Amino acid sequence: MEKREEQTHSVKYSTYIFVWMGLLILTGLTYTVAVRIHPGGWAILVALAIAGTKSGLVLNYFMHLRSEKPLIFKVIIPLVMAVFLVFILLTFSDVAFRGGVR
Amino acid sequence: MASAERTEGVRPRISFYKDHGQYHGILSWILTKDHKRIGLLYLIFVIAFFFSGVVLGFFMRLEMVAPGGTIMGPQTYNSLFTLHGIIMIFLVVIPAIPTIFGNFFLPIQIGARDVAFPKINLLSWWLYVSGAIVVFFSVFTGQGPPDTGWTFYAPYSLRTTVNVPLAVFGVFILGMSSILTGINLVTTTHRLRAPGMTWKRLPLFVWGIYSTSWVQILATPVIGITMVLIILDRFFGVGIFDPAKGGDPILYQHMFWIYSHPATYIMILPAMGIVSDVVPVFARKKIFGYTAIALSGMAIAAVGSLVWGHHMFVSGQSDFADILFSLLTFLVAVPSAIKVFNWVATLHKGSIVIEPPLLFCLAFIFLFSIGGLTGLLQGALAPNLHLHDTYWIPGHFHYIIFGGMGFGLFAAFHYWFPKMFGRMYRRKIAIWAWVVMLIGFNIFYFSMLLLGWEGMPRRYFDYLPQFRTLHLTATFGSWILIAGLIIMFSNLFHGLFKGEKAEDNPWKGATLEWQIPSPPPTENFEKIPIIQHGPHDFKELEKNG
Amino acid sequence: MDEAKESVFEETKDDTGAKLGMWLFILSELILFGGMFILYATYRYKNPADFHHASKELDVILGTLNTIILLTSSLCIAASISAVRKGERKLSMYLLMATMALGLVFLVNKGFEWTTKIEHGIYPNSPALLARPKGEILFFGLYYIMTGLHGLHVLVGVCVFSVMLVLFVKDKLNQRRFIPLENSGLYWHLVDIIWIFLYPLFYLIT
Repeated sequence: MEKREEQTHSVKYSTYIFVWMGLLILTGLTYTVAVRIHPGGWAILVALAIAGTKSGLVLNYFMHLRSEKPLIFKVIIPLVMAVFLVFILLTFSDVAFRGGVR
Repeated sequence: MASAERTEGVRPRISFYKDHGQYHGILSWILTKDHKRIGLLYLIFVIAFFFSGVVLGFFMRLEMVAPGGTIMGPQTYNSLFTLHGIIMIFLVVIPAIPTIFGNFFLPIQIGARDVAFPKINLLSWWLYVSGAIVVFFSVFTGQGPPDTGWTFYAPYSLRTTVNVPLAVFGVFILGMSSILTGINLVTTTHRLRAPGMTWKRLPLFVWGIYSTSWVQILATPVIGITMVLIILDRFFGVGIFDPAKGGDPILYQHMFWIYSHPATYIMILPAMGIVSDVVPVFARKKIFGYTAIALSGMAIAAVGSLVWGHHMFVSGQSDFADILFSLLTFLVAVPSAIKVFNWVATLHKGSIVIEPPLLFCLAFIFLFSIGGLTGLLQGALAPNLHLHDTYWIPGHFHYIIFGGMGFGLFAAFHYWFPKMFGRMYRRKIAIWAWVVMLIGFNIFYFSMLLLGWEGMPRRYFDYLPQFRTLHLTATFGSWILIAGLIIMFSNLFHGLFKGEKAEDNPWKGATLEWQIPSPPPTENFEKIPIIQHGPHDFKELEKNG
Repeated sequence: MDEAKESVFEETKDDTGAKLGMWLFILSELILFGGMFILYATYRYKNPADFHHASKELDVILGTLNTIILLTSSLCIAASISAVRKGERKLSMYLLMATMALGLVFLVNKGFEWTTKIEHGIYPNSPALLARPKGEILFFGLYYIMTGLHGLHVLVGVCVFSVMLVLFVKDKLNQRRFIPLENSGLYWHLVDIIWIFLYPLFYLIT
């Protein structure tokens, strides 16, 4: 494999600035929704969705996952998400049903 | 591909033993970056820790030969089984095959000169030794060694006055070593394969280590954080698992077993990889179902991460979780069974060559199958109610871990000995050791299964008179087993110093390690090979003489 | 001759491999924190009102400010790497120092938060805390552990960056060889991502 292949284009500063602004907006959004809007039961889902989007921006742009070529890089984050999901769901199969299935 | 060979030139042809690099004497070993030397460093320590674990076990069995106190009090007994578990699991069984044989042979088998991160490899070894030192410190300082069992269940582990924090800190350090090894071997497999070494041409040992390494990376951090939480709770009273502060002790068990069940696959997958490599060589036939074996290893790693709750059926977890985990546990038996079928199918109509490596693999298949079947029994909810925390459980896991992983390890010793040391052990004695071990093993651990079936609780210092005979039998079996171990190790040590010189390929194996000198030169290959066939192309080998 | 002997043990020039190793390490760190998130999820599920109540005692403004600080520090390190790739050495070093400074400000803020709480008697095993409902004891236990573990990672990140500064000075980090900086950046972004989740889960429970 070529040594030079990893040294592809470096990302433009403007791309980073845009991503950063997006992150700030999303931060403002999650703050506003929580403190001003009080969505009740949906709150945690909204918060996690926004956090997930922010993480996606950091992963894909700041951490360049978008432009990594080998397959293994694309697999890593979905893999850890799947593992974590499994751990938490199975734990909840206990915790959420202690009093019986009903 | 790594460009470590940009400098063409003459590679040193001397064996890696003689090529001491920039340091001399002992420094050339403990500061080495050569994966083969690091593998041997692990070998020495793993064997030393194995011996200490066996000694602990010997005294446990001596105590249990009769009811009541025989040679020790209950506190000492509790500490013995705790230490036996910690040492055997964290210092021997989990690290052994990946760090000894994964380190030594994976790079060679894929056609590389070393692992991806040689300095991190050395760090892993230092962390391993440091973790061991911390664990041993916990024995001799403070109020003495932990008495919680190797499982450190809360809330007892939070309250008992003995040296729990030191021991769990040792486990934490060992976990870091394990994670780094996993990272190293995954990266090595992805990045350093020789030209033509496609994933489908990899030796099955490499697949075994590869799947293991993923489990090491993904599961070990959970026990890392759990051990940290025990320490934080003992020093700062945080209360995460303390019911008085709202904590849930069952959650401790979840966190503990989320790692510790997959850890059993870290133990067994490499051993299965060895069996998959060795059986074809001694059947002179390629493995039946290469893809099935390779992928079933990954499947075991995946599904095996879903079953941890089967350690907790009677802990107080919900019925729903009980049912779910029981179902998943039955599923994980499937990929293991696929391997057993495929190994047997490989032997079928093969040209069998009876040599110690094959014998240990055959024992593996037999003992692992018993262990696996007993696992199914206890994986069913109703029987589990009766069997949990009885001697059935250690009976089961000794069949799997010792009968499985242990015999797989011994198979590896006997298979790769000539390659690693350039000498051969005495064949007859190796076979006798095997016979003695097999007899002792089954007398010992089958008695345990029967004891458990009869209701003898585990981790109990004392017992009712009705269990006398089986305990006596078990202890007797343990002595025969230990005798076999002594014969085996003596034979190997003898071979190390006085054995006949071995040829480069005594078993006529087709994987890359057999195509280089015994012992290998520092950089493994003069020229990185170009791979044109799979790992079981014996006909090709015979054609080329 | 000596060159051939050393070739195995010199730095591997496989940058993709080095990056892969770093990503695998990041994976393990995500699972490390993931374990804590599992505990958080369970205890919040069981004590929703207590968590809500306790969360109100955290300083949302300081928490939001810290979030912005970390996001900006991520911008700085990302830009720093772009700069070094373009050969803009000085700019890269300044951005790196900015990242470190922001990281330290984050830690100082966290220090303020903690000391304020401790002065009010809210810390693990304190009498004041133990007198509260169990869910609140758990909330604060998780708060200290998770933000503490995170803060430790921030500190380590700052230390790693200072090593990078030294490498810059010695010209071991430059346009031809910047993978250590890139890997340090990846680590820093991980720390940022963890905080992205910690922030709403601790400060924004409604």
